[in-house]
Amino acid sequence: MAERISFSAVINGQKVGPMDLPHDLMMVELLQEYLNLTGTRLSCGQGVCSACTIIVDDAEKGSYTVPACVTGVAWLNGKSVRTIEGIAGRDEQGGPVPSPIQRAFLEHFSFQCSYCTPGFVNGATVLVERLQRQPIASDQVEAAILEALDRHICRCTGYVRYYQAVRDVILSTPGLTTDGPQFDMVARQEVTQ
Amino acid sequence: MPHLDISRRRFLAAAAALGITAAVRPLGQAQAAMMPSVVGQDPGWFSGGRLRYRRDGMAKVTGSKVFSIDIRACDLDGWPQTQSHGLTLHVPRADRVYLGLDLSVLEPDLMPDVLIDAARVAADKVAMPEASFYGDFFLAEGQVPPMMGQPVALGIWHDYERFRAARKKLQFRTEIFRFGDHADQPARAPYGAARYVRVGGDDPRGRDRFSSMQDTVIWPDLTTDGVQWPGPEHPAFGDAMRHADEIRDVMENPPEGWRVFSGQFSSQSVDPAAMEMENGLGWYDDGKLHVVGATQSPYSAAHHIMDMVSDSNFSLDDLDFVTGYTVGYGQKEHQPFPYYVALAALYGQGRPVRLMLDRWQHFQFALKRHPFSIRTAFAVDSEGHFQIMTCDAIGDGGGVMNFSPSVGTVAVTAAQSIYYLPKSDLSVEVHPSTGVTSGSMRGYGTLQTMATTEMLVDEIATEMNIDPVDLRRRNVIKSGMKNTQGAVPSGHLRAAEILDLVAADPLWTDRAERKRRFEQENPGKRFGVGFAAVQKDFGTGAEAAVVQLEVTPEGRLQMRHVAAEIGAGATTSQMLVAEPFLGRPVDEVEFSVQDWPQMPLHTQDEPYTTSQEDEDRLALDPTWVPRFTSPRSASNSAYYFTHATQQAAQMLLRIGLWPAALSIWGEGASGGQMRPEPVSIDDAQWRDGRLVARSMEPLTLERLAARAHRDGHITGVCVHTFNRWAWAEADFDIDGQKIRAPIDALSVRWGQGASASRKASMTDGGYAFIPRSKAFYPPVQRNNAGTVYYAPCASLIELAVSTGSGKVEVLQHKTWLECGTQIVPELVSGQMQGGLAMGIGHALYEELPTGAEGPGNGTWNYSRYHLPRASEVGVWTQTGHVLPALSDDDPPKGMAEVVMIPIAGACINAIAHATGHRFYQMPVTAERIKEVL
Ligand code: FES
Ligand code: FES
Repeated sequence: MAERISFSAVINGQKVGPMDLPHDLMMVELLQEYLNLTGTRLSCGQGVCSACTIIVDDAEKGSYTVPACVTGVAWLNGKSVRTIEGIAGRDEQGGPVPSPIQRAFLEHFSFQCSYCTPGFVNGATVLVERLQRQPIASDQVEAAILEALDRHICRCTGYVRYYQAVRDVILSTPGLTTDGPQFDMVARQEVTQ
Repeated sequence: MPHLDISRRRFLAAAAALGITAAVRPLGQAQAAMMPSVVGQDPGWFSGGRLRYRRDGMAKVTGSKVFSIDIRACDLDGWPQTQSHGLTLHVPRADRVYLGLDLSVLEPDLMPDVLIDAARVAADKVAMPEASFYGDFFLAEGQVPPMMGQPVALGIWHDYERFRAARKKLQFRTEIFRFGDHADQPARAPYGAARYVRVGGDDPRGRDRFSSMQDTVIWPDLTTDGVQWPGPEHPAFGDAMRHADEIRDVMENPPEGWRVFSGQFSSQSVDPAAMEMENGLGWYDDGKLHVVGATQSPYSAAHHIMDMVSDSNFSLDDLDFVTGYTVGYGQKEHQPFPYYVALAALYGQGRPVRLMLDRWQHFQFALKRHPFSIRTAFAVDSEGHFQIMTCDAIGDGGGVMNFSPSVGTVAVTAAQSIYYLPKSDLSVEVHPSTGVTSGSMRGYGTLQTMATTEMLVDEIATEMNIDPVDLRRRNVIKSGMKNTQGAVPSGHLRAAEILDLVAADPLWTDRAERKRRFEQENPGKRFGVGFAAVQKDFGTGAEAAVVQLEVTPEGRLQMRHVAAEIGAGATTSQMLVAEPFLGRPVDEVEFSVQDWPQMPLHTQDEPYTTSQEDEDRLALDPTWVPRFTSPRSASNSAYYFTHATQQAAQMLLRIGLWPAALSIWGEGASGGQMRPEPVSIDDAQWRDGRLVARSMEPLTLERLAARAHRDGHITGVCVHTFNRWAWAEADFDIDGQKIRAPIDALSVRWGQGASASRKASMTDGGYAFIPRSKAFYPPVQRNNAGTVYYAPCASLIELAVSTGSGKVEVLQHKTWLECGTQIVPELVSGQMQGGLAMGIGHALYEELPTGAEGPGNGTWNYSRYHLPRASEVGVWTQTGHVLPALSDDDPPKGMAEVVMIPIAGACINAIAHATGHRFYQMPVTAERIKEVL
């Protein structure tokens, strides 16, 4: 039998493991075939399309994405991971409360078939989280979105409504741009004080 | 385009004949109760009288299980907790005799628990249903593969870890297939061929001298020697051939002052690249077969599975076919894969089996877009008027026939693009090859022909020194003029209106100056502007739908609909369609409904082949319809489903709520408020959710519903519609009223206060079937029309070509579309943007070789097959313009397919403008540009 590892991780805030797994198992396999978390979608299986994008939370580096189809469980062992199933919150009845990015995708009618949507949600979520740490000027936003999301393939939508939704979130969320809402708020506070 | 989809009726009748209990149902019904966020459970999509997001939006954006591919056995009610895993093995070549498998690389511990091959299925008498259409399950040893990528075996492993280890060992390992000597393919007959000849009369709107519609389409014999075009003496087609010969003579020897322009184009093989691969889950246990399938044609799949199993040694008492959401752009329409899923289930040894192609295999086996070689020519008079068009299109259908014959005819009947042609001769042939099978990808052949026509028209404009938009304006088809089949397109044609807008657009008028400036500021780059305009037909010529709509005593609107979701938002749209007639969108809905006891109809589902005489006779039976339901397709839904929904809503108002309103307004001793001012249904309007008529008191739906129920008026209707390039109509007698409507069957339900006799008559799923007193079906001759419903679309693109690398950079583009009334503008624009990206991919990037290096060899994936990214489609700079509807009742048109076509032609015309070089082979890649620069 092939080499095996003992795998533990935090997935969507919950401790998973220790699990006895094949050493070469890819994360998408763990999610789909062992944990029945199928929102992380497989399409190319070679790290090209970003459909399978998941988030790794690192205390020092902050959050970043990896393609779950070519990222082994061995590499993710001990790490903290978020998948699409962990992005929305829950209301009292257990219904989903979409994150700002999810809400924007809904309201912009961003997706069609939605196969690529979990990847886009995660990619855009990490972009927003990065901008929280390192805001940029609002005239840089379109380029930043393109840089972060260009690797995501969508066959249905032509991308426009995804991109517009992300731009809306970034430009309207305080603190993500150096000259956006936060700046105004600070200026206003200074005036009123 | 004659799809082979079948109706639920036929499916159930077949099941009954075989003694099988059978059902086709949507995923939601089969899922275990604990599944989170199933589509339809989230009420937030519509609130405050406003559509906030897609009805399925919350489930999709949270990654819930909506696709077939998301489903595992433990997600389904009554299934075992785990599943086995299947793997199909596909030969990578088709030039040698196949001798068998050598799986020794797996060593004993990874050998499949079950291995199925041609010999095994033959022994069990399991055969592919309609093998000439879908291909054989497996290639037998000793045979030459009919195509690269042909399956030869299917292995099943009962545990995931052994399965994945085995899959890894087998992947890309061609030595597992043993091959013998080189062998030639046996000769095969072409898949299809046809020719459409038209010689118009002096009046483009008058009688033709000859046309397919009026006279005949030419259908040649197809033999292993090729297409046998008939001669001028042929009894059926001789006349047509003589006209064709005359047309070709004139093209050879044009009259003084005319010029003939021709181009030889080629359009490549493309993978529709549905992001969800072919997949399914099946379970066979004790005569019961369950299949979860990813298909755009669930009824055909279920029906064929039933036939396949009942003809075999396996017993079948019960078939449960469950359809998840899927995506395909035609890739999953009438594809063979669901039958492999069923097959895997049969051999699963009582366990569920999951079968999925990985992306390499999906490239290797899933349906493709037909490559075409197209020779097009125009004869143009000195004024720049097109006099004759000829087009000879030759398609490559790949290894199995599938929809090749109809893709071919649709392709060539669309070749005319937006022009009126006094004479035309259009022929098509589609041949087999050893490439992966081509199917019915979005555009259905028309992308290939129309984009190339637009490239030639652009070249003609340059050659004749006429502005390209102006040349198009001189030749554009106008309302009432005939198409190349001799049919008159439906309604007002608005391509000319689009051309007028483009002619005045600064992107077009300032192009010379913009080019000069751009090239001055960007040395090493050439600037180009390109334009193309097309119109795309939609529909199959036999579109049927069923909708049920009722109002509860509390005033809630409940709908059941045949429409299914395939990504484009059909289900969201249909809920909104009722609003103009009933004052608000439908409150509750069930989609993908397959079970229609309310509509006790029968059909033999032969809408294309029934003779007029037979149809006239059959139509006398009020329970007969030419077809029960149509396959699901994005571009069809908007127009055809909307009509059915509107008819149901209108009917509910007319025969149910309106009488209730009259009863309220007429209340009182002397005829009530209505007495001094009588009103008619023509006065009915909805204002702020209330029914108004002239000066009558506005009435809420709640009040109307309560009255309708109290008095036993009609509170529910179920309608069936049929379209053969025109709507079928019928007369009905309802409650003593004579009504004619563009529907062909009707059932009604009376409210709670109805008389006992009325209640007793509601025996069809709680409804009473109202037999039509007379039906008016569009004559069967309309089958020859090819098409009459068109949506026009045009694109203008600005791009830059790098002289060093040949790389194309899309700077901006603008698209004009006419699609009637937009039900949900956001969905229309989303479809537009998606189509544009697909068109850009076709023009610039996507290409699969058709020979030994093609995808059938199993080595293709997105790393080699470039799908356009956001940075390549002008994501921040594109704009779209949708023409306003002509009237409040202008029907919405199918437009998912049309939008990708003009942009493809426009891109290549822009490259010609930038480089001064005309390209005839698609895609125009950076390498190809570099070669000529
Ligand atoms: S599936 Fe992982 S990148 Fe495509
Ligand atoms: S929405 Fe279908 S692939 Fe993106």
